[in-house]
Formats: sequence, C-alpha cells, structure tokens
Amino acid sequence: MLNRKYLTALLTSLMVVILVLTGCSGKSSATDANQKPKTEKKQEAQPLAKKEGNSLTIAISSNLVSMDPHDTNDTLSGSIQSTMLEGLVGFDKDMKMIPVLAESYEASDDAKVFTFKLKQGIKFHDGTPFNAEAVKANIDRVANPDNKLKRYSMFALVDKAEAVDEYTFRVTLKEPFGAMLNNFAHPAARIISPEALKKYGKDVSMHPVGTGPFKFSEWDQSDHLTVEKNPDYWVKGLPKVDGIKFKPVPENGARVAMLQTGEADFIYPVPTEQAETLNGKDGIVVENKPSIVARYMSMNTTKKPFNDVKVRQAINYAINKEAFIKVVNRGYGSEMDSIIPEGLQFYSKQTPYPYNPEKAKQLLKEAGYENGFETTVWGANNSDAMKAMEFLQQQLGQVGIKVNVEPMEAGTLTDKIWSVQDAKDAEVDLYYGGWSSSTGDADWGIRPLLAGTSIPPKSYNVAYYQNEKADQLINGALQTADPEKRKEAYAEVQELIWKDAPWAYLIVEDTMAGKKNYLEGVYLLPDGSLNAKEAVIKK
Amino acid sequence: MENSGVIVQTNEQVTQIEVEKVRTPFLEFWRKFKKQRMAMIAGSFIILLFLIAFISPFIAPYSSVEPDYDNILSPPSMEHFAGTDAFGRDIFSRILEGTRISLFVGLSSVFVGAVGGTILGLISGFYGRWLDSIIMRFCDVLFAFPGILLAIGIIAILGPGLGNVIIAVAIFSIPIFARIVRSSTLAIKSTVFVEAARSIGAPARRIIWKHIFPGTVSSIIVYFTMRIGTSILTAASLSFLGLGAQPPSPEWGAMLSSGRDFLNTAPHVTFFPGFAIFITVLAFNLLGDGLRDALDPKMKD
Repeated sequence: MLNRKYLTALLTSLMVVILVLTGCSGKSSATDANQKPKTEKKQEAQPLAKKEGNSLTIAISSNLVSMDPHDTNDTLSGSIQSTMLEGLVGFDKDMKMIPVLAESYEASDDAKVFTFKLKQGIKFHDGTPFNAEAVKANIDRVANPDNKLKRYSMFALVDKAEAVDEYTFRVTLKEPFGAMLNNFAHPAARIISPEALKKYGKDVSMHPVGTGPFKFSEWDQSDHLTVEKNPDYWVKGLPKVDGIKFKPVPENGARVAMLQTGEADFIYPVPTEQAETLNGKDGIVVENKPSIVARYMSMNTTKKPFNDVKVRQAINYAINKEAFIKVVNRGYGSEMDSIIPEGLQFYSKQTPYPYNPEKAKQLLKEAGYENGFETTVWGANNSDAMKAMEFLQQQLGQVGIKVNVEPMEAGTLTDKIWSVQDAKDAEVDLYYGGWSSSTGDADWGIRPLLAGTSIPPKSYNVAYYQNEKADQLINGALQTADPEKRKEAYAEVQELIWKDAPWAYLIVEDTMAGKKNYLEGVYLLPDGSLNAKEAVIKK
Repeated sequence: MENSGVIVQTNEQVTQIEVEKVRTPFLEFWRKFKKQRMAMIAGSFIILLFLIAFISPFIAPYSSVEPDYDNILSPPSMEHFAGTDAFGRDIFSRILEGTRISLFVGLSSVFVGAVGGTILGLISGFYGRWLDSIIMRFCDVLFAFPGILLAIGIIAILGPGLGNVIIAVAIFSIPIFARIVRSSTLAIKSTVFVEAARSIGAPARRIIWKHIFPGTVSSIIVYFTMRIGTSILTAASLSFLGLGAQPPSPEWGAMLSSGRDFLNTAPHVTFFPGFAIFITVLAFNLLGDGLRDALDPKMKD
C-alpha cells in the first residue's frame, strides 16, 4: 500500500514537471524558421567579453591523428599542423593561392617542370636553416613509395626533385599535371626540418619542427595539444598570442558549452541547430562562410531508370534546394550552381535547375515513367545525412518516385559502394554524399568523382558516369599549366556534366565557427581547415 | 426439531452451491483485480491506447507524413499540440499514428515469443530428461546475452526493418516464457489429478493440453503483459539506433532519435515521443503487477 502511495505522488509530480517543461519549450525554441540566418550583424552590438591571459583555447571536433603532414589525411590534423609548419605556397582566406616560403614560382608550359624561388634567412624551430636542400629532403621523403606515407599519391608523379642553388628548388614530373602547384599548396606539402626528419624518423609525427609562428610544445593524445609562441618567426610582429591549446571535444553540446563559459575562445564546427541561439549572447559571435564542401546525390547512370538523362534531370527539377538548406542545414548553405563549389579554381556558374515538380513529372512521362518507380538511396548513418535522405524521399515522393532510405555505417558503405570490383555488380542506385576538394583546384573536385577512369574501386565515381567528351576535357586540362587554357577546358566540362546530370545537385555547405568577440585573426578556410597564425586578443 | 434441522441443513447446502456458482475463477479474479486501483487506471489507459491505434487516422489533426517546410521545429501551440519536427510534421499526429506501430510490435513479438516459449516449456517440463536438458541449455545460451544485444545481433543478420525487430524481440522472449512455463509444468505434473489422469491411461497430449496447460495460463498472462512493456521499449531502442522502423514511419523510438540534435533548441521533438513510450510502458507494467496480485493464489488480499 505504501508503494502505491509513492507511485501516485511520483506520477503527480511528473505531470507537473511535464507541464512546466512544455511551457518552457515554447519560449526557448521560438526561433523563426523563415528567417535567413544572419550572423554578422550582432558582432559590434555586444561589449567585449572578458579574457584573462594571452593564450587561446580552441575546441575541435575530433581527436588528432598525426603531426606529420606527409602522413595525414584528415583536415583537422592538417589545420593544427599549419600553426607550426608551412609550405612553399598556401591558400589565403578565399582559397586563392599565395606564396608562403617561396618568393615566387613558375611552371613550364607543358606542366612538367615547376621552379620555386625560396625566401631567404628563414630558420626552422631547431635552428636548421631553410633552403632548397631542406625542401628537397621533404619532397623526396613524401614521393618515395617505400616510405608508405598517406600523401604519397599526391606526389607520385614526381620524377626528380633538385636543389638548383641554395634558394632555388625545382621539381620535374613524369608526365604533365597542370594542377601540381595546388598540390604544393596543399597541407601535405608542408616542410619539416630535415634535421628533425633524421633525428626522429617515423616519430616525427609526434615531434613536428617547422618554420611556423608557433613551436610544438606538448601533445597529450587523450586530452590536448599545445603550441607556444615562436619569438623568431620570420614575419615581423607575429605571432600576437603566447600560445594555443587545441582540445578535441567530440560532443557538440560540450563544445558549445565550453565557448559559453569561456573555457574555449574558438570552437568549430558549431552545430547549425544551435548557431542562431548562440550568436550574439555571452560575447559570442558565430561566423558562417561558404565552404567548398558540396552535397549531392549521385545516380547510377548504368542502371535503369537512371540511364535516361530525362529521369536524372527530372530528379533535379523535383528537389527544392532552398527547402533542403532550411531543413537540413538550418539555413546555413547555398544552392549548388555548378558541379564544383564556387570556392574552387576554374569554377564556372551554370543555370541551376529550378524547383519545378510539374516539369519533373512531364520529363518522367516523356521517359516512360508516368507512374513513377521505386528506388533506394544509400548514405551515411549520421543524423544530418539521415535527415537529408528523408528530405529527398519526401521531395521525390511528390513526383511519384518512391524512395527507400537505407542509412549504413561507414564499414558497410565501403563494402557496398567503394569496394565493388566490377561495375556490373554495383547494387547502388542513389547515393547521398559530399566532397571537399582540399587542393582548391577544379581537377580534384571533378576527376575523382566524374571521370570515366574513376569508377570504384579505383576512385569515387559512384554515378558510374562515363562520358568520352568529358574525359578528354578533364585530361586535356592537366596537360598544361596555363590557367587560361585550363579555365576554358573546365568551363566546358562543367557545362557538359551539369546538363548530363549524373547527380542531383544539392547544396554547398557553410563553414560554421564560433568565437568570443575579443578574438580576431582566427578563421576557417573554405575547405574547413583552420588558420590561427594571425590570432589577436583584443583588450 | 429434527425436521427443521434437516431443512436448515438443506438450506445450507443450497446456499453453499449458490456461493460456489458465483465464485467462478474469472469472477474471483475480477473481484481481486477491481481492488487494484493503479492497475485499473493502467488497464483503462491501455484500452484507450488500443482505441487510438484503431481510429488514429480519423482523429489525427494532420497527416503524419506530409511535410510543411515553412513551419519547422515550431514549439507546442494550439495549432500543433506537441509542436512540429524538423520537417514541419505535426508531432501529436505522429504520436497517435505511432501508437499502432508500437502496440502491434509489442503484442505480436510477445505473442510469438509466448507461443514458442510455452510449447518449449511444456515439452521440457513434461518429458524431462535429455529433452529438458537440451531445451533448457538452449535457453541458458540465449539468457547469457543481454536482451538488446541479442536483438542487435539478430538484426545484424536479418537486416534492419520493423518486421525483423518483431522477430528479434520474439526470439529473446522465448527462453523467458519457456522457463516460467516449465516450472509451472513441473509443479502441476506431480499433482494428484495429473497422476489420476495418467493412471486411467490418458495420452500425453491430452494431459499436457487439458490438465497442465490451463494451470500455467495465469503465469503466462501475467508475464505476457509485463513483457509487452519491455518489448515496446526494446523496439523503440532498436529504432532509436536506426535498426528498426525506417523513415518516414512515425515510430516513437525513431522520432526520439530524430530529435537528438535539437535537445537544446527544440526539446519538444524528443520530449513527447519519449513521454509516449514512458507512459505506455509504465501502463503495461502496472497492469502486469495488478494481474499478478489478482491471479496469484498465494497472495492474500
């Protein structure tokens, strides 16, 4: 009997809690879904938040893998390396190529020989002078297949690297590759002190020694990585902060809380759902900028009904991209208007497929699928991908295409998509995925995804798209380093493939970073990597 | 005096007979069950749930699948009692629709499990010896896995989907029923009336079904009811993990999972489906408790 009394009391109190909660939820989540998010506006309005000391804490989303740039294939580790290590060339805020350790550079007309003039008087953190021999040691290391480095593929074409004189470095390729300069601007081509390479060997991944504004300090793999000021940095006046602590915090909520309490000064990514409520409070500024991460749904062009271009175009017409951005990305993104995002070199704008279900139905009718058909979309099983696929299911349902959503974990996806040995055995119909071309060049944004030679298991052409004309243009663009000629070729490829529609073109994501308003000079590049070289704390 | 005494006696016999007539097992059960107030409330709530399951398409204010992109994640209001989800669908309507799925999964999986388990339990208890050993060791193996882990394993083999969730939950319900029925069977097997039936040459099948099985029914019913709650919970968990119901099905666990990202900004997306699961499971458990109290002959009221 006593038990029952408690139970009644428990139930009653529960009801009260529920009522209170319902009331609260009404207030706290009263965000207007129709409003386009604007994050810039609130920056000036709020007073500077308080900050003690002159070092930074940056919370990041996953654990760091390696500090060896030649053996790293995640953007995040690369970002952290960028505070300590520098390359010959690099990217600025908008992904435009700029010289870093090189004074100037030039490419031969046949895109086979690349010559770099190096800056003088630069020293590595361990005192070793920076010169052409140092660069050669690095390039020889990464281009040697015996070293089994993850970034070997980017330098596999290197025939020989030579130090012409103390400050001139030249690299010769086995065959023309017009996008090679971009590979040198990629994080993988950062230069490590040759002394450190000798001293630590493979363990250099735990002891990075470079020329950057910060020196490596300590790395506790379970908790944080810290870097400290390099007082002898070759750029006068930098760095302006004493050190940076990078802390991996995988849980979105915890990362956001760290920014709110001031435990972290900069976090990324900010979950899009929380950007709106976070921005403009507690001295927090959320910054969103177009990234080069493209989201698309590929269609297996070798299988019925997707072998018919009309069906593929119909699917493009049937999807409301604006609503996609609103539902899946909470407004933080932009419509895709070419096969590569705007941030990549040689991008050329195409006419987007407008949302037009009527036209889609008509095209389906012309293709002989008046009553629609049933198909399946595959994709990752994280919540964003699942939301996106469910959205596509709803949209295509409106034109009579019944889509089954099958989220899979990464291992299954690899098995079922990327390891299929023969195109005929490919079960995939639709695949929802994304791509970020981290070299900033059109080639890496198109060739691995849409060239005829790139079908799985070799590369990532999951649409099994084969178009001779396109292949010719893609390869042709690599035969020269002349930007004008390359631009022409890529413009033609983009137009051709855009009309052929092997994908349903969806959106380009925004990069999402949150910071305290006293912090300046830390920003995300369009490829999602971080630049903290010029960090300043305003007082 | 003697005459009157006889009359009184007869009267007594008459009343005795009448009382015995009134006290059928069912009415006796009902008399005890009525006293359990919580169980009565839980029972009526469950009846309401069944009603909702049948008429939800007619009473739901909105469609459960039709998205409304201009109205995403809006908080509870008079228009949307439980707010809307990430696609602008009315959560209240979806919960109503989801009732049918949850009840169907709960009932059918436990039913399959109960039938399988009862048959195995009766056989194992009645025949004993090596048959008993085999069946019980098989049950022990299944018991060795935590329920949800076993279900995930089964789903991994069969592939995700609601139908497979039913099979998975059914399979891990089997050993529980088998063990309970076996113990009742052992007890009843040694009673005098079974002995009597056996001695007049009744075949095994008749003894099992006519004499032993009815005796195990009360514990089966109690456990059946309790199990429904657990299996609704398991099915919801599997859907939460993305192994059960597939979108756009308004299964409660799947709805709960879809709200994870909005816990801070739109808690209603997770709260209401979670509450639906909570109250349904609680109702089945309370009903099960009440049934046990009413059906157990050893319980004194």
